[in-house]
Amino acid sequence: MDLFTDIFGDLWDPKKRIFFGYLFLSLVIAGLWLVAIKRTGLRDSLRKLFDRGVFFSSSAKADYKIFVINRIFTLFISPLLITQMTIATAIFFFLHGVDWISKGQFAETPKTVVVTLFTLSMFVFDDFTKFLLHRWMHRWPLLWAIHKVHHSAETLTPITVYRVHPLEGVLYGLRSVFVQGSLIPVFLFFFGGTVDLVTVVGVNALVFVFHVTGSNLRHSHIDIHYWPWLERILISPAQHQLHHSTAVEHYDKNFGVALAIWDWLFGSLHLSEKGRDLSFGLDAKEASASQLTDIYLRPFRDMWAVLRRRAKRLRNWVTRTQTGPSKTSGQP
Amino acid sequence: MRALKLHSTALALIAMTASGALAADTYGPFPVTLQGYAGDKTDSVSYSGQIARHALHDSLKKAAALGNGGANAAEVEALLLSYFNGSEADLDILAPTSKDGFPIKQSTVNAISSGKNISGKFYGGAMPAWPGNGTGKDAVLHMIAKAAQSENGYDAENGYDYAQLISKFTMGAMMYNQSVDNYLDEKLAADNKPNNKPYKEGAYYTGKEHSWDEGFGYWGAPAHLMSLTPAQAYDIAKGKDLAAADANGDGMVDLKTEYVFGPAYYAAGADKGGTKSTTYMHTIMQAFIDGRQIIADAKGEALSDEARAALKAQAAIIEQNWEQVLAEAAFKYAGSVYKDITKLGETEGDDKAKAYRAYVKHWGELKGFVMALQSGRNNLGATSVELNKLVGFGPVTLDNSYVTGVDANGNFVRDRRMTWNDYQLNMLKTQELLKAKFGLKSLANDQLAELEGLAGKLEAEASAETD
Repeated sequence: MDLFTDIFGDLWDPKKRIFFGYLFLSLVIAGLWLVAIKRTGLRDSLRKLFDRGVFFSSSAKADYKIFVINRIFTLFISPLLITQMTIATAIFFFLHGVDWISKGQFAETPKTVVVTLFTLSMFVFDDFTKFLLHRWMHRWPLLWAIHKVHHSAETLTPITVYRVHPLEGVLYGLRSVFVQGSLIPVFLFFFGGTVDLVTVVGVNALVFVFHVTGSNLRHSHIDIHYWPWLERILISPAQHQLHHSTAVEHYDKNFGVALAIWDWLFGSLHLSEKGRDLSFGLDAKEASASQLTDIYLRPFRDMWAVLRRRAKRLRNWVTRTQTGPSKTSGQP
Repeated sequence: MRALKLHSTALALIAMTASGALAADTYGPFPVTLQGYAGDKTDSVSYSGQIARHALHDSLKKAAALGNGGANAAEVEALLLSYFNGSEADLDILAPTSKDGFPIKQSTVNAISSGKNISGKFYGGAMPAWPGNGTGKDAVLHMIAKAAQSENGYDAENGYDYAQLISKFTMGAMMYNQSVDNYLDEKLAADNKPNNKPYKEGAYYTGKEHSWDEGFGYWGAPAHLMSLTPAQAYDIAKGKDLAAADANGDGMVDLKTEYVFGPAYYAAGADKGGTKSTTYMHTIMQAFIDGRQIIADAKGEALSDEARAALKAQAAIIEQNWEQVLAEAAFKYAGSVYKDITKLGETEGDDKAKAYRAYVKHWGELKGFVMALQSGRNNLGATSVELNKLVGFGPVTLDNSYVTGVDANGNFVRDRRMTWNDYQLNMLKTQELLKAKFGLKSLANDQLAELEGLAGKLEAEASAETD
């Protein structure tokens, strides 16, 4: 029983994206989208929503297995929270040593302002660092070797969010530790004990809004898109699906999670394309969609290959720079 | 028939355990076990000498605030020294004294026990936490002299509250030190005050019985402490809860057996405050009772190796918890000093003077407890050095200078400055150090708690969720 809750607990935890309540709301949103906006018949809509070809594809089945297996690796993430306190304490101490600021300098600020500011900052900083790390995962070959696991999915279901290599989980855990470890001490130093987070069911209110408005549909076959102006502010499900697309023109677009402004600023924004059928996944040479041993082990092989290439290049460069000057100096 | 017999044996066993448990709820009475004793005493417990020293200590603290800025210095110093060194005359107990609804049975020290002093039992080892490179006793005598010259024990210029300094230091340098470094240490050895001989010629208690009693006396707890909550014990020390204190129901508080003095009071405070997850007070008290029972069970014979080992185990519990109580108190006051500095930055004029007074008081308590910690059996080594660096010889004063030493005449020298921010940071580090080195759990006034609390609240958010 304990093992069962350990593995499937996220489905009951409103702090997690795949909480059954959010899944249900996503289903409602998708249904409304198909029936009311896309003018699809009820029977066809239901058939589309519960498409067996999507939910029981070999790629989706691999997602489910990865979901279970990865729970074991969450054990490696919990110790990171200790690191978080270390970072927070170090920054808190550091701030005490800065002469021109003082503890509780803005302690008089009304609580509502402080709490709103903290909640907003937390959400924005969190979202931005997720964007940044995601971008690096695509740009740096060493990280792409890890992130490929997620992009090897050929069908997208809400569980695909768990289809990540454990190393990616660690990196995202570190990111979270960094964000919280730095924001908490800064706010506490300046505002004192009034700092708090606006939460709904224990989660940042803004994250809650993100979840109840269908965050699960990002990884789905329901291509809900927003008005173009809104897609410059918030990433629509269709925009994220486009991020998974195999089409070359869609490569390295839409790294954002909730906010689209980062992609807009960094030039990687791509609005959704109405009526375009997308296909997902990677070339079989790059990654397997369903072979578990390949999914877990290939990243290590690929990273090793990247490192070996780098080492070779370094060696070549060293030999070049060493032999270069001797040649010229040898010539009168 | 056999079943019945077994049954009655079980009953007898239950009855015995029950009465045993009852007897072990209070510290005494314990029977006279001294072999060959022919007198009429029935209770071998005796620790009135230690209670007299508690009264001397409380009175010394009270008297430390009697100075009027120099004019009566000689007179006040003589008074302070009479409590410190003891006196031929019967000294009035200046504290604790009777209050409305809280009458105290004894009003002079000799009514408890005569011929007692603090000086003979004061820690004489090196005390590098106080300027002057002297012993613990040198340090407290220096404080006493300065207290006499001050106005009400308060030295705003150097940032000292002598009553607090003297009192908290003494709780370590006399009570804690005598108990854990003497009576619960060498006096537990086989060849020192053995249990098959009287403590001294003509005594009705054995060597070990009385050694343990004296160790207990310094702890300063009423005999019935196990039946009190930390909150009740705390109130008794504040002269409030007569019903809780008056165990024999005679309508008065007997300082010998019914009052809560310093060390037990701070254990109660740690348990009552902070995270409320500690049981220092009852743990220490139970260990004293259990230890005394082990000695009583030896029935006047020399302790067996097994019994001595069991006794030492109780002594170790007492020492460890007592040390933690002192560290918890230092931790709490480091937090107070931190908060006081924030308040100092927010106030002006009279309010600032008041805030500074509170800061100096809290610092005195912090410093006193940090010095107390360094007066025990354990050599704290690097921890002492670090604590003394962080806390300093004196607090940062209003012009940012702080005491760095004394000149040849014993006058304080303040030739360095530190910013308030830096000193606040020192307080955070002091808390961090105390928490880590002494395994503290009560953690009252924890200035890093907000950080941890918020981090804990966000823990659920620390997801590895990616996209």
